[in-house]
Amino acid sequence: MIGAAATAAAIRAGTRTAASVTEQALADIAAHDGDFNAFTEVSAARARAEAAAVDAAIAAGRDPGPLAGVPYAVKNLFDLQGLATLAGSKIERDAPPAARDAFLVRRLHSAGAVCLGALNMDEYAYGFTTENSHYGPAHNPHDLSRMAGGSSGGSAAAVAGGLVPLSLGSDTNGSIRVPSSLCGIFGLKPTYGRLSRSGSYLFAASFDHLGPFARDVADLALAYDALQGADAEDPAQQWRAFEPVQAALGAGVAGLRIAVAGGHFARNGHAEAFAAVEVTARALAVTRHVEIPEAARGRAAAFLITMAEGGNLHMPDLRKRPDDFDIATRDRFLAGALLPAHWLQQAQRVRAAYRAAVLRLFDDVDVIITPATPYVAPPIGQDMIEVDGERIPVRPNLGVYTQPISCIGLPVIAAPIADPAAIGTPGGLPIGVQLIAAPWREQTLFRVAAALERAGIVASPKPARR
Amino acid sequence: MSHEFDAEAYAKTAAAAVGLPLDPRHLPGIAFNLKLAARMAAMVEGMPITPADEAAPVFVAGREPPR
Repeated sequence: MIGAAATAAAIRAGTRTAASVTEQALADIAAHDGDFNAFTEVSAARARAEAAAVDAAIAAGRDPGPLAGVPYAVKNLFDLQGLATLAGSKIERDAPPAARDAFLVRRLHSAGAVCLGALNMDEYAYGFTTENSHYGPAHNPHDLSRMAGGSSGGSAAAVAGGLVPLSLGSDTNGSIRVPSSLCGIFGLKPTYGRLSRSGSYLFAASFDHLGPFARDVADLALAYDALQGADAEDPAQQWRAFEPVQAALGAGVAGLRIAVAGGHFARNGHAEAFAAVEVTARALAVTRHVEIPEAARGRAAAFLITMAEGGNLHMPDLRKRPDDFDIATRDRFLAGALLPAHWLQQAQRVRAAYRAAVLRLFDDVDVIITPATPYVAPPIGQDMIEVDGERIPVRPNLGVYTQPISCIGLPVIAAPIADPAAIGTPGGLPIGVQLIAAPWREQTLFRVAAALERAGIVASPKPARR
Repeated sequence: MSHEFDAEAYAKTAAAAVGLPLDPRHLPGIAFNLKLAARMAAMVEGMPITPADEAAPVFVAGREPPR
């Protein structure tokens, strides 16, 4: 399982060719994806052509880019030229093939990366588990009987299972951070408005973020730096200067004010979620606790707005062909299309008030640590789980800690605990924490994640099977 | 709020208003989700906000293109 930076370095140095790396990745996918069900499309011809172009650039003495020959794949809501963008659905099989790649795919292409294909997800990104009824569930590489998380479950399983060192996903309410935690890899949900979403299939546009997955912090940083760029086609993107993070990875945490979130983030989960926070805080000598005010109401606002935006987006198909939706999303979209306007407007006002209250916290704190998921990956098909003495639905509760944060667009790195067995997770299964900062402070998050990685606290645990 | 909320009746009326045909087989699931939404709505209703608290989305008349 070679990482992105090491692969690019070997190819740039001429010790490997992009073609040989691509063939190896294609062989790995053919050999192992039957276990994970991460890929819904393997774009072998495209990958070979991109790899050949990288090798040709090197032979001609041109710079092949910082991601030269690095294999990656994307959640199947990213446009890939020539393929229908499925967004996890059966309905979009009828859509015309994408005329060009999504903006972020074009960014990775210009950096020399090689696209291996499209990845499984919850239908239209509305879920936390990737138990997709059309394409089958994605399987967690650490235990194939368990959920990979979602909605970017294929993106996480492909990286955790060693099929690719990088992937792209989307996060509306937790869809990068939940599968990162359950599969034991790193995921970045940047600030809302940081990375362009043009050429991706939206879900709930006012919460939709895109971001990368990787198995170490350096690879995550390499991908993030390559993905940044202004795009006039995304109406929500804030046009900021390029703010690279790779140079900051060694900066350490001296001078940073770090705290652990209490309240909502100290309830609603199992012991392993809190143990993950505790070991992280201890490594950083953090003793301070803060309360993220009104987090539960923020989550409720996100819940309502997501339902309504999703229902509105899919109204034409809900009217014409409701039975073609995944049964896991259909009734939620139908209900979302019917919500009273008052609930929505109240939710949007609460969202703004909640944001104002949370942003005040960052006057005194730079980074807040919370659990990423309330428990390790549940078995595929499990409906209910006991939390705080109550039996509750297992799937929506997976987003209990992520949803209040994406509601207000804060940047987050989901970082996996290096040795989950040592903190007592059931079966030694992976779990992660959220490192949360003020808007536009991704660089601070990378400093903290890199310091934790150097200390051996966070790292991507290797699945036993690979 | 949710204990007074007849979600199936609401769904039928609202769906008719927006021209969304509802299959009776889908009604229990829709009602379940509307009741869940009603519980979430009760939570946001409980937030102490004032008339000065504007909604989160802010319309932007235009942007300078990226340099």
